[in-house]
Amino acid sequence: MNQRNFLFAVLLLATYVLVPAVFGDNNYVMGLIISALIVAGIAIAWALLGNLGGMVSFGHAAFFGVGSYASALLTMKLGWPVLLAMPMAGLIAVLFSAAMLPALRLSGPYFALAILAYAQIFRILATEMDWLTQGAKGLSRIPTLPVLFGIDLGSRSGSYLVIVTLLAAFIACYAWVRRSHYGTALRAMHDSEQATRVVGVNSVMLKAWMLFLSAFMTGVIGAFNAHTINFLEPDYAFGGGWSVLPIVAAIFGGYRTLSGPVIGALCIYLIDQLLFKSLLPTGHQIMLGVLLAAMILFAPDGLLPLFRRRHA
Amino acid sequence: MLELANVTVQFGGLSAVKDVSLRMGSDEMVGLVGPNGAGKTTLFNVISGLVKPIHGRVLFDGVDVMHEPDYKRARLGLGRTFQIPQPMHELTVRENLVVAQRFGAGRVDAARIDEILELLQLTEQAGRDAATGLALQELKRLEVAKALATEPKLLLLDEVLAGLETQGKRLFMEKLREVHARYRIGILIIEHDIETISSLCPRVVVLDFGQIIADGTPQQVFNDPAVIRSYTGVEHA
Amino acid sequence: MAELILQALYSGLLNGGVYALMAIGLALSFGTMRVINLAHGELVLLAAYMAYVVESRLDLSPLAAIPLAMAVACAGSALVYLLVARIRKNRELNSLMLSFAIGIIITNAVLLIWSGDIHSTGSVSLQEAVQLGSLYSMRSELYGFLASLVLVTLLWQWLAKSWYGRAVRAVSSQRDAAKLMGINPAKTELISFLVAGLLAGCAGVALYSSSVIQPSLGHALTVKAFIITVLAGVGSVPGVLAASVLLGITEALTVTLWSSAVQELAGMLLFLLVLFVLPNGLFGAARRRA
Repeated sequence: MNQRNFLFAVLLLATYVLVPAVFGDNNYVMGLIISALIVAGIAIAWALLGNLGGMVSFGHAAFFGVGSYASALLTMKLGWPVLLAMPMAGLIAVLFSAAMLPALRLSGPYFALAILAYAQIFRILATEMDWLTQGAKGLSRIPTLPVLFGIDLGSRSGSYLVIVTLLAAFIACYAWVRRSHYGTALRAMHDSEQATRVVGVNSVMLKAWMLFLSAFMTGVIGAFNAHTINFLEPDYAFGGGWSVLPIVAAIFGGYRTLSGPVIGALCIYLIDQLLFKSLLPTGHQIMLGVLLAAMILFAPDGLLPLFRRRHA
Repeated sequence: MLELANVTVQFGGLSAVKDVSLRMGSDEMVGLVGPNGAGKTTLFNVISGLVKPIHGRVLFDGVDVMHEPDYKRARLGLGRTFQIPQPMHELTVRENLVVAQRFGAGRVDAARIDEILELLQLTEQAGRDAATGLALQELKRLEVAKALATEPKLLLLDEVLAGLETQGKRLFMEKLREVHARYRIGILIIEHDIETISSLCPRVVVLDFGQIIADGTPQQVFNDPAVIRSYTGVEHA
Repeated sequence: MAELILQALYSGLLNGGVYALMAIGLALSFGTMRVINLAHGELVLLAAYMAYVVESRLDLSPLAAIPLAMAVACAGSALVYLLVARIRKNRELNSLMLSFAIGIIITNAVLLIWSGDIHSTGSVSLQEAVQLGSLYSMRSELYGFLASLVLVTLLWQWLAKSWYGRAVRAVSSQRDAAKLMGINPAKTELISFLVAGLLAGCAGVALYSSSVIQPSLGHALTVKAFIITVLAGVGSVPGVLAASVLLGITEALTVTLWSSAVQELAGMLLFLLVLFVLPNGLFGAARRRA
């Protein structure tokens, strides 16, 4: 085992054992960490689409909302077990993302705003189709995560383990794609799409896969969130916050790195909740705006690469 | 193996290629010559699927490929280079070949990539960033290497010999003959220099104003009055 | 029913006029700099709050706020330009995110200063009903539409005739060529952002005079303005005006025939439809966005 792998193992152990052991009894802190990790999950999915697919999205709330509603409805209306409904919710988010396939041929800003349009459309549909979603009244008493192998996944510590596992799986998947030949081809496509196509790469298909993967991850995270807070309404599930926070987080940490979005999400969410929110109970998002603007202006590659460069 | 039937391309009302029909076999090495703006590169773009003709068909191995997108034609065995090299950015030279092989040929074979690198004298440069770390002549060789890595049946070479000094040109021509013989690849090559093309290709096709005005051995073609007129008229004007 | 539809068409037309004021500004800055200012709607909103301040604090008509609203929106627009111009790397997407961030800042600043309450004008004369044949509107809506027509016509003439107008058009179509002709793109870009700010100022006052404002409205306005520029396609002032009216009418008809909750849906669907079916917009000159 080389040093890097050893470090990774220690980190994994600390994440799985140490954090619940230390904070397990403190519901407030655990809740805060879980929420930060939810943002981290979306941030990973967003960064995957941005970094590998080369597409910036302003509408990841669309996938998040679809995933949360899908899982809630599967469990409540059809009686599906929660752990089966969650991956299914991811697939349903993929199905909805397929409606965005025509947007793939649009360039940067058009794609970003077309996705935003989808998020709005889905929110309105969720509000209007009240026979299914109970409209603006919202869904309450959504089933919690079950007990598995004697661990109550619905408890704070249990939920923590679930979200950490999800994130680990996402990162592993992201890392695998990035290292694979698909990742190499995707990297080449950003600035030289034609050169990549004439050697046999179906660039549109690859981008579509990145969109699907990103939608799946975000949908599953949405489902997880629905089962931890047990309540949904359209303005919450499709709220702009689910699009904005992950962007700020990923940019902050460095969206071209694997760990950047996670570190960024932890920093941003905790700073936002603990510092900004106590300073400015309403309108604390102004600080996020300032932070995002400052990052774009002074460190568009994020903080992690910045540190690395300093120490190199 | 490659058959063009009545291909016509228009750009904003102007015909860039007019009613071109051409057949070539898989064992051939054909030169495509003609003055600037004659439509040579456009014809390549039609064959590789980057430009849609308003009229005509492209058959490859007896199959109509008109409705196949560019990347599928590459997989079918149509490899091409660009006159202005288009390396895949953010990748090393070797990665360029790996992507071309993996997606164009559908397999991974490191030995074959080493062979291509060796053949085109890029072994030393294999680890360099393709877009920023190569000189122009190296980039041109990378163009050929990338196309070769897709394991094509037909290679479309767009002015790969231009800008080389005599010795370099002779070496490169040797390489092309070797590629042609070793991999049994048909080659269609665009080249300005009459001497070069005459010594390299047993068959030459001349394009002028989007139309084929001559097709035959170098000797026949370059003694054709129409060809002489088009060459002296444009090149030495 | 026919009367209702006619009334919806009329209201939509009037609304479309105000939309045009917002959208032309966005289209202008997009045209010259290839940058979509995602804080544009927030600037309009900021101008609308200026009208609110002037009315509530100074007890004046919202119309008296026009100079202040214009100045504030102009300053904001110029600030966006100066910040965006600093971006060197990957400008298209980074400018998108930067202006998005500025939008978040403005929205929350408005929230912090004026709270989340909704506001509308208290002026009786502006809210008075005006009858035109069998069609009704508020006086302010009619004013807004007429003002918009005048401003749009002036802008159109200015773009067509003046030196700056030609420069703006030159930079829009051929940036490098414009440089060779001795046109300073930076100056031209700044001017287009300033003009965008002026129009946003008027749009804000018109908005406050004829409807209700609240902090979260800015984002919706940006999206509307962007939808219109996509509908219009890049290139022509009359195209933007027509697209604005089209959006206004579509929204009004949706409200009349369906419900006000889905008003936004109509705009979004129209947007996606045009984006996918007519890549150059309804009225645009050929320009690929793929």
